[in-house]
Amino acid sequence: MDFELSEEQKAIQTMVREFAEREIAPVAQELDEREEFPADIVRKLADLGLMGILFPKEYGGAAMDYISYALILEELGRYDASVALTVESHNSLCSNHIYLAGTEAQRRKYLPQLASGKVLGAWGLTEPASGSDAAGMQTTATLDGVHWVLNGTKNFITQGSVAGIYVIMAITDRSKREKGISAFILEKGTPGFRAGRKEHKMGFRASDTAQLIFEGARIPKENLLGELNHGFIDTLMILDAGRIGMAALSIGIARGALEESLKYAKERQAFGQPIANYQAIQWKLADMATEIDAARLLALQAADLRDRGQPFTKEAAYGKLFASEIAMKAASEAVQIHGGYGYIKEFPVERYFRDAKFCAIGEGTSEIQRLIIARQLLGRSYI
Amino acid sequence: MPVNIIVCIKQIIDPEIPASQFKIDPGTKRQVQGSHSLVISAYDQNAIEVAVQLKEKHGGKVTAVSVGGASAATALKSALSMGADEAILVDDPAIVASDQQGIAHVLATATQKVGVFDLILTGCVSGDWGDRAVPAFMAEELGIGCVGFVSRIEAKDGQVVLRRVVEDGYELIEAKTPVLVSIISDETNTPRYPKLKDIMAAGKKTIPVWKAADLGVDSERIGAAAARALITDVYLPVKESKCEMIEGDTPQEQAVKLAARLRELKLI
Repeated sequence: MDFELSEEQKAIQTMVREFAEREIAPVAQELDEREEFPADIVRKLADLGLMGILFPKEYGGAAMDYISYALILEELGRYDASVALTVESHNSLCSNHIYLAGTEAQRRKYLPQLASGKVLGAWGLTEPASGSDAAGMQTTATLDGVHWVLNGTKNFITQGSVAGIYVIMAITDRSKREKGISAFILEKGTPGFRAGRKEHKMGFRASDTAQLIFEGARIPKENLLGELNHGFIDTLMILDAGRIGMAALSIGIARGALEESLKYAKERQAFGQPIANYQAIQWKLADMATEIDAARLLALQAADLRDRGQPFTKEAAYGKLFASEIAMKAASEAVQIHGGYGYIKEFPVERYFRDAKFCAIGEGTSEIQRLIIARQLLGRSYI
Repeated sequence: MPVNIIVCIKQIIDPEIPASQFKIDPGTKRQVQGSHSLVISAYDQNAIEVAVQLKEKHGGKVTAVSVGGASAATALKSALSMGADEAILVDDPAIVASDQQGIAHVLATATQKVGVFDLILTGCVSGDWGDRAVPAFMAEELGIGCVGFVSRIEAKDGQVVLRRVVEDGYELIEAKTPVLVSIISDETNTPRYPKLKDIMAAGKKTIPVWKAADLGVDSERIGAAAARALITDVYLPVKESKCEMIEGDTPQEQAVKLAARLRELKLI
């Protein structure tokens, strides 16, 4: 067992940390306030290789390992969870699905565009009446000659209104329930396809979230992604890896909450001394730091297993569950330590608190993570 | 015309740490690293950026050189990831505790071993000791010109035009190469963030480690024994502050008394 990062991993961590401190932190609060998508930041991140982190160089990617990926998302999440989610969903979900399930032609056509950041990726599973319960999906894809025709609506899709390339799950054989779901690649501008309402959210306000509407959207037959009726199986694989990213992003928020609290506790005086002198505050800080480290170890364990080609489903769910829940706890304690100043927008912990709540909901709620872990422990016969 | 550049960089303890965490070892009179990270001295990063931009424009080769312990290899990897083609570490216990002239001697011999160069770039001042002495000593060792505090360099026809920052403006200096130039920060030389692929590529490069004996260094001129400058004491400045209340029945009276007191203290 080796807890030491490689020199390259440390260098990547340092680079992203410096970028986040200098380029993202100064504008994060304003982007949140204005619900503005961080297009300029994404362009710069793409130039550094952060929009094609996981896939090989021949497709324009940076061919990074999952440990590096987790380090990157923690550093981005430290200052701006919205930027981190943009990078996470673009890489973990859309790009990774095309890389892992796509044909050579699909990889060559779409991945270089996604890696360049000129085109953003979105991934559509959730619908108005279904999320992790994929069998409740309503969107259909019907073969009509040399085209698939999509009808239905997707909900809460990250990058929904700003993406150029979409991976969409749709029912191709309703009789087979979740085993009758397939994945498709859609491009912006496809007739019959449009982005609908943009959501106004509690947190992650600079991340773009929108509805997608398919009204007889026709796409070429070859845009089927992966095998027919294999979409949900592939989706589970994509979400497994995505959880490493969501865990890392959550740790970033929690670390932000801790670092801001440490700073404030040393500065803020109460009853003639810094509040850091009081055990009531010290214990909160100690618990936050301990839980952050535990969450990081879980996330990196899952990343390490993934990098070594070992099963990691359960460990990724551990990481996502624990990290997202301690992010909420850390953000809540940070607001408490800041007192009234934690409740106003002049201090960033107010934003961290709103952002953290999403982490236990997005890409599978905490309840779904527990279900995954329990199934791994008990086997599927105990459902 | 291609420009071959040697950039001398120094790894230092992160100077951005709070003053309260700054500790000095009373024995060595040097800063204690503790848990603080090591970074490339800030202006040295500007120097790397200037070098890489010149290479991108004119072609040529950028070689980063650092004198330091094994950890300085990290700084050199960073220079490689920013675009330097090669990096060399000069690491020898005999060099430790050399003064500025000793370090300049080592660097000068190292640059001669690197070979042909048009420019040697350094930061204008290091972020730790801040002596500003090594560049000039080094140019003297090499018998080449030295221009300090330069923010921009244009290369043309075997010479360079240097924009040297002075109070209230700048001077443009034409210099024949080879020349040693110390670099100051400017909006055109903000150090770039290394790309992921360049970090990985830098990780695969080997950094040769040279010893003093490899360079033909005069052993009489390096190490603590040869140092002509002796640091007798290093201390943290003690900041004292006290509060004095200015009394007065009316704001006008308070203001008059405040002005009188400030004048008495020769502050206005």
